[in-house]
Amino acid sequence: VTASLAAIIFTAGVISGSLGALLGLGGGVFLVPFLNLVLGFPFTAAAAISLTTVIATSSSVSAGRAGKQLINMKLGMLLEVATAGGSFLGGITAQLIAQSVLQQLFGLVAAIVAVIMLTRLRRRNVILDPAADPGVLGGRYYEDESRTTVTYRVKRLPVAVGASFIAGNVSSLLGIGGGIIKVPLMNLAMGVPLKVATATSNMMIGITAAASAIIYLIRGGIDPYVAGPTVIGVFIGATAGTRIAHRINVGYLRLLFVVVLLVTAFQMFQRVLR
Amino acid sequence: VTGFDRVAARRSQQVSAERVAGRLLIVVTYLSVALLAVGLVLMLANGISPLDAAPPLDLTTVVSQLASLDPAAFLWIGLLTVIAAPIGRVIVSGINYSRADDRLMVAVSIGILLVIAVGVGTALTVSV
Repeated sequence: VTASLAAIIFTAGVISGSLGALLGLGGGVFLVPFLNLVLGFPFTAAAAISLTTVIATSSSVSAGRAGKQLINMKLGMLLEVATAGGSFLGGITAQLIAQSVLQQLFGLVAAIVAVIMLTRLRRRNVILDPAADPGVLGGRYYEDESRTTVTYRVKRLPVAVGASFIAGNVSSLLGIGGGIIKVPLMNLAMGVPLKVATATSNMMIGITAAASAIIYLIRGGIDPYVAGPTVIGVFIGATAGTRIAHRINVGYLRLLFVVVLLVTAFQMFQRVLR
Repeated sequence: VTGFDRVAARRSQQVSAERVAGRLLIVVTYLSVALLAVGLVLMLANGISPLDAAPPLDLTTVVSQLASLDPAAFLWIGLLTVIAAPIGRVIVSGINYSRADDRLMVAVSIGILLVIAVGVGTALTVSV
């Protein structure tokens, strides 16, 4: 039983790690329901373990993408400050707006974003000229699909900083990972290519999760006997996901993200109805 | 030397600095996974189930327990390394931005570290 249970937890980690790495979500959105509903771990214990796996996904993706310029460190860190600030001030919002209203709002926004993403499945947000000026926050990377170095520019930074603040605030209140907001924000609003958006989001969620994981660790909320096999599985899954991501058509990736967005929107509406 | 050349040189300097930070992250990540893998093997060899109650983290003894091949010690150190990796990356990036005299990004790096520090401070001082 001991070895098979460890193997089940490990496999769940592999699956959530690969999906998390592909979509820039960290994998918690898949792992928490599994640990909580299938294996019967308390929600807070599942969330604490999930946080460590989100960091593992983030580090694995960041390590796998090192030197490929898919992670926009500057943009990620700028948005991270706003996200962390928003998350930190979550308590104030909780007093101003009822959680059910926030859930409805989030569900509605997630559904709208999913529809917008569906209408832009073929948009790549890149300039095929590698000599084009990327601006202060933009960048260049080698795109496998076009087999050339492409350039991208970053638009609407002030709007994105404000939205990141709200994303951090709302995600801390609703217990959802920030990636589900950050990826569409960077891709749709800021004109960042989806692969750069997912890689940058993965880097950002690692920092956010580390800040929260320390708190859980200090308060004794992390179980090493469960977290150990899960993190190893997530690392292997995320490493595989990072390698697969190069070969997957960006349209399919976007479609997969739309499905996750719609499922999350559905879950939010379901929580309100409970 | 034109302004465009300076921007290009600065960008290239940042790319190589990011590469160094990325390599460091690779080393730390693989180290943490290796520690966790040893812990998992020891855990299974000792017949410990993931559902068993784990000993709490004790920073004063955890390193010395590695010598006695305590599975929990390997798992704890591995998890601490996992959690430290992204924070370490922010610190390394902050140092790189400081070397490149990019004051905005140095302030951003410090801002992120401050938010983490405030969170840890709150967790240490506020009882649940």
